[in-house]
Amino acid sequence: MFHIDYKKLRMLKDKIFVFTIAALTFLAILPLFHIILSIFLKGAPVIAERGLPFLTETFSNGGIGPAIVGTIILTITATAIGVPLAFLAGAYAYEFPDSFIGRATKVLLQIMLEFPTILVGTFIAGVVVFPMGTYSALAGALALAIILMPYVAVYTEEAMSEVPKIYKEGGYALGCTRAQVIFKIIVRMAKAGILTGVLIGMAKVAGETAPLLYTAGGLYESYPKSLFEPIGALPLLIYNLVQSPSPEDHRMAWGAALVMLILFLALFVPIRYLLKKDTVKL
Amino acid sequence: MDLKKILRKIDEFKIITMPAVIVVFLLFVSMLVFYFISSYPAIERYGIDLFIKNVWIAAEEASKEVYGLAAPIWGSIYTAVIAVLFALPISIAYAIYVNDYAPKPLKYPLIVISDIMAGLPTIIYGIWGALILVPILRDYIMKYLYEYFSFIPLFDYPPLTGFCYLSAGILLGIMVIPFASAIIREAYAMIPTVYKEGLYALGATRYEATKVLLGYIKPAILSGFILAFGRALGETVAVSLVIGNAFNLTYKLFAPGYTISSLIANQFGNAAIYKYMTSALYAGGLVLFLIGLVVNLIGLYYLRRWRAHVSH
Repeated sequence: MFHIDYKKLRMLKDKIFVFTIAALTFLAILPLFHIILSIFLKGAPVIAERGLPFLTETFSNGGIGPAIVGTIILTITATAIGVPLAFLAGAYAYEFPDSFIGRATKVLLQIMLEFPTILVGTFIAGVVVFPMGTYSALAGALALAIILMPYVAVYTEEAMSEVPKIYKEGGYALGCTRAQVIFKIIVRMAKAGILTGVLIGMAKVAGETAPLLYTAGGLYESYPKSLFEPIGALPLLIYNLVQSPSPEDHRMAWGAALVMLILFLALFVPIRYLLKKDTVKL
Repeated sequence: MDLKKILRKIDEFKIITMPAVIVVFLLFVSMLVFYFISSYPAIERYGIDLFIKNVWIAAEEASKEVYGLAAPIWGSIYTAVIAVLFALPISIAYAIYVNDYAPKPLKYPLIVISDIMAGLPTIIYGIWGALILVPILRDYIMKYLYEYFSFIPLFDYPPLTGFCYLSAGILLGIMVIPFASAIIREAYAMIPTVYKEGLYALGATRYEATKVLLGYIKPAILSGFILAFGRALGETVAVSLVIGNAFNLTYKLFAPGYTISSLIANQFGNAAIYKYMTSALYAGGLVLFLIGLVVNLIGLYYLRRWRAHVSH
């Protein structure tokens, strides 16, 4: 009879197992480093060669200035439209978690979080762009606002739920109305969480491409002047440049991608570190 | 006096928040209605053929236009399945490693890295995928598989450009890994510690303990992958840059294809010239809308049920 040392076998299996999951974990995060590295390697020479004008000049002068300004305008407008609505809807979902409407609101917001963004773009194209007859910054911002709303609302709801119930009871005991308790006590206590939601929503929509494809239009030869005219955006510009066959356009795309990556990391990493939580919704 | 009483009855909070809730609901309902109405002309004209045939003939004359969305619908589902299969082992391994076995100083950075990957703009994945990942996959993986394994029908399409279902699936997989692993990690962390302690007290090795614990969070893993599948379905720009954009109804991994969202991204701009194309594209959008809705509802339902089950 063979003598099998079961204990050794089990220990070996154990070692192999831990090694395998460590290797797979490494594999999971490897793409991020490859992405950052290759964008730096390809993008940095372009920016170094063109210098500051790359960030300020129009496209035919070899710069992406209008796209950067466009992204900023779109993001701010979308935030201004989406945040108030989302905040109120989130507060409702928090206050009435057991009522039918409250539950439905929460489910709806979660579905909107997962909603294909291109469908928001074509929806806005159908109801805003076609009737207006032109692409516009407003249409782009509306599309982005719809995408931003669920992030803000879900974060608002979660941040408020984390406030201990005792503060709410204390508020009512002092004779406050429901509105006073929520807007003056709970919101103030949950403001860090709500703010995180707003910032994550902004970081998310600033990087969106699909909803802008048929709403914002694109404008890269001059700076945007009005909300009712087409506007450019960084991700949109990169998307168009990557599809072009010319290597010169690809170089521009790498440069623009590097700018975008730096902006994203500069905005997102501090937010993520400030949020001392293990799980976040993205 | 009476007026004051009535005023007190009215809940200011509801008055302030209700409009926002109504707007959110109206928005969603009007989107659904809008997609039904906009796709109606094409559905009325082509009937069920619009969804089960693979043709795409755009013509100046409306009578010669024929559209069938079978290839993009298949492409959306196929690439999402590839993505989930690719992401499955990696995200489970990641969740286990980060929760239980990562050295303390590595744990938090690993979580942050994965969150950065989840939040990274899709166009960044797109440019990297199209200009870096696709050539790598083509030169090192597809060519090899084609040369030595082309007797398997899955691999017998010549990988000329590298833009194909497999590239799209793998890029999507990379994009959904952080998303799926966040859900699994959260579930794994929620397992009561007594189970773990009990297993180790019984003398289980780490491998054996993990195997049992994974069984405990099976529903959460399932819902994580359903939600990841939903996300992969809807992804647009990164996919349209790597999938090759061709009407190809095939299971062959190296063939270029289309997904619904990349079809819309590509064709919507010039669709207005043709009479029925816009409507056909909206019909594609409607399909994506409904599949996404069902998939996400199922995923959320399972996740919710599991959470309720655990917290009791």
